[in-house]
Amino acid sequence: MLVLGVFVAAALAAPLLADEANLRAITADARDYPRWASPAELGPLGTDSLGRPIWDQLVYGSQVSLLVGIAATVIAIVIGTVVGVVGGFVGGWTDAALARLTEWFLVIPFLPLAIVLAAVLGPSLENIVLVIGITSWPVTARLIRSQVLSIKERLYVERSRALGASGAHIMGRHVLPSVMPLVIANATLTVPVAILSETALAFLGLGDPTRVSWGSMLEDSFSAGALGQEAWWWYLPPGLCVIAVVLSFTLVGRALEGILDPRLRDSHAVGR
Amino acid sequence: MRSLTLLTALALATLASLVAVVGATAQEGKVVLTVGLTQDLDTPNVTAGELVSSYELFTLQYASPTDLAAEDFSTVPGLAESWEVSDDGLTVTYTLREGLRWSDDTPLTAEDIAYTINRARDEEWLNYTSTVANLSAEARDERTLVVTTKVPDPRLPGLPLYVVPKHIWEKVPADEVSNYPALDGVGSGPFTLAEWKKGQFWRMVANPNFWRGRVAIDEVVFRVFRNADAMVAALRSGEIDAAHNVPAAAFPDLENEEGIVAVQGEQGGFDYLVLNSYDGRPPRDTSKFDAPHPALTDLRFRQAIAHAIDKETLVERVLNGIGTPGTTMSPSANPAWIPELSEEETYDFDLDRARQILDEAGYVDSDGNGLREYEGEDIVLRYALRSESETSKPYAEFITGWLEQIGIGTRFSTYDDGQLLEVAGKGDFDLYVWGWTPFVDPDPMLSYFTCDQIAVDASDFTNYYNDAGFCDPTYDELYEQQNRELDPERRREIVHDMLRRFYASASYIVLATSPDLQAYRTDRFTGWVRQPAETGPVLFSNSSPSYWNLTPIEGADDGGDGLATGGIVAIVVAVVLAAALAGWIVLRRRTAEERE
Repeated sequence: MLVLGVFVAAALAAPLLADEANLRAITADARDYPRWASPAELGPLGTDSLGRPIWDQLVYGSQVSLLVGIAATVIAIVIGTVVGVVGGFVGGWTDAALARLTEWFLVIPFLPLAIVLAAVLGPSLENIVLVIGITSWPVTARLIRSQVLSIKERLYVERSRALGASGAHIMGRHVLPSVMPLVIANATLTVPVAILSETALAFLGLGDPTRVSWGSMLEDSFSAGALGQEAWWWYLPPGLCVIAVVLSFTLVGRALEGILDPRLRDSHAVGR
Repeated sequence: MRSLTLLTALALATLASLVAVVGATAQEGKVVLTVGLTQDLDTPNVTAGELVSSYELFTLQYASPTDLAAEDFSTVPGLAESWEVSDDGLTVTYTLREGLRWSDDTPLTAEDIAYTINRARDEEWLNYTSTVANLSAEARDERTLVVTTKVPDPRLPGLPLYVVPKHIWEKVPADEVSNYPALDGVGSGPFTLAEWKKGQFWRMVANPNFWRGRVAIDEVVFRVFRNADAMVAALRSGEIDAAHNVPAAAFPDLENEEGIVAVQGEQGGFDYLVLNSYDGRPPRDTSKFDAPHPALTDLRFRQAIAHAIDKETLVERVLNGIGTPGTTMSPSANPAWIPELSEEETYDFDLDRARQILDEAGYVDSDGNGLREYEGEDIVLRYALRSESETSKPYAEFITGWLEQIGIGTRFSTYDDGQLLEVAGKGDFDLYVWGWTPFVDPDPMLSYFTCDQIAVDASDFTNYYNDAGFCDPTYDELYEQQNRELDPERRREIVHDMLRRFYASASYIVLATSPDLQAYRTDRFTGWVRQPAETGPVLFSNSSPSYWNLTPIEGADDGGDGLATGGIVAIVVAVVLAAALAGWIVLRRRTAEERE
């Protein structure tokens, strides 16, 4: 949680912490930064093969990584929740169709689909968000649907229906609020997956070439031969940042899930 | 049941890797030279291939009537052992060596050469036009070839030509020539193509009928690396014997490494920024092609871009200081063909001058968003990146940075080289950075920028050379003149004029001359030859003499070993995986039982 706070703060305060102009190669040239400088030569984190300081890239990279992670998660969660609630609640043909669609997305291997979509749509930040968003909703949809199936049989829902409430009203007022904890817990678990996906796509050269993200830093360092040059200050920081953010999101997500997911709570109760 | 099938599958996989090892050991005893490179073939078809990698294949597979000396590119006997030039200089009579044969044992006669020249001229084969356009050939008998030229040709009696086997190519109809897959592997050079796995490697085997005699190496394998760093590591570990296109960042380290010789091969290669300036003139059917940004057809706009490129910085920061800032296009492996530019002619790096030109030409930023407009729309150029080049993105970082400073926006797309050839042919780009490696005679490079070489064939977007869409009737006229000028001094002046005109058009901004960075190991083969002597590269040179000159060092382990180790590693990995999987299945069962 604390780690997460630090990263979010860094992303928000990027202009204070780092100099955006330093992301440009021509600035590095104008300011005469040395190339391949180690942290000892040019603090705090040295420079890359073109002379751009790593620190500024890292700070601005956190913006892209977090933004993509969260935006893609919002898309995935909205699609997933809508499909799950509608499918579970309406049932019948609608449910069958939505469930098949979900399964269809579920069985398509994620990375190849994401690569194809990213290649077809073209490399831009919006497209990356879109690609990750529309490829990572099926798990959420299945989870929500199963929860809705159990909720809609509950007494208060039946009662509400007996009182003449419409389907939309019940979905909005009764079903959605009761699956909300599950949605939130699931969202926190989707963010790290989305961040990892962004890193992977950027590393494969499918990210937005005009923006620095942790994935694109890894890609740049790989293609410029940083591994061979043993320029650890270039590839290690973004790698460690990805690990730290993903880990903290996952831990927070698990904790939230433990608190909010009724099923997990129930199973704990049984255990006791 | 499920777990059982899984285990069976694993057992099968293990068996498969065992078989692979047996296959590899069967190769032992063969002398294999492995060359690493980062660019795959575009096609093994000699009439159509354009990439440097493909040219290396052609040079190895097809011997030429006259050869290029390893030391200085002078004309020396090849398939032809001698020749006689008529008094008017228009007819050359070549006498071929005795008993020449193709690699499939079919006799190689003067008829094959005459067939190649005449057909290539009639059908305008892409890679031949510059050489054969004015020639006609006749086979007087099996060993006598008479070549006549319509106009005086300064290149004769030199006849560097990839001779194709008539008995193979006569089965290919004219409309299929450029698309013929050409995996026949019949040739007359030291090696012929045996196998090509796209994106992975191609393998060539020694030709027993090579006219110099069968070479000392049994096979050459060209391994395509997706990552240049991995290639350098493979060279260090001895997995490959030589590497082409070593990244500049790794080059200094290799120079200091024992057992490895790093070569900075100069043969006129250069990197350029192309500005798509095709202005829509016929005969291209513009409805089937994409057009460049209209501002690029304006000379002033292009000049502004030329003033916005700091070549010194590019050499220093992108090329690691290896190379020299470019001026005009370099048409030949010999630098004497490049003219000296006067100060007024030169587009020096001057952003203020660039801005001033754009302002005067009426490209102004009226809405204050930092981008100038063309007819009310922000100017954003399509910049193509090459995924196969590790300098592509660094170049782009700088170039787009400067363009932004003079108020020109850019948008990236990424392609591999094969794709970019097509994209560029279709005209679906505004800018990109790529490189050329010229031949010895300047004629081919010069011919690439005549109006004829603009893509017009909508059925095959790779059938062109003039990627800038540059078209200047005066240039074309001068091209014809130099093509028939026998006086070397006079010819050089004409060529210099052409290069100045081309430079002035600012369609092609030569960023830097870029030496071929290569490296080879000294532990398995000796006899590496630099062409030209002392300054040139050892491989991928104009006639690549290293391949037939190399001999294996006695007692050095052969290449088969590397493969066998690979196989053993595969088995170990498979076994470990199997164990892990089995363990996992067992564990899962247990937990499942517990759950129940």
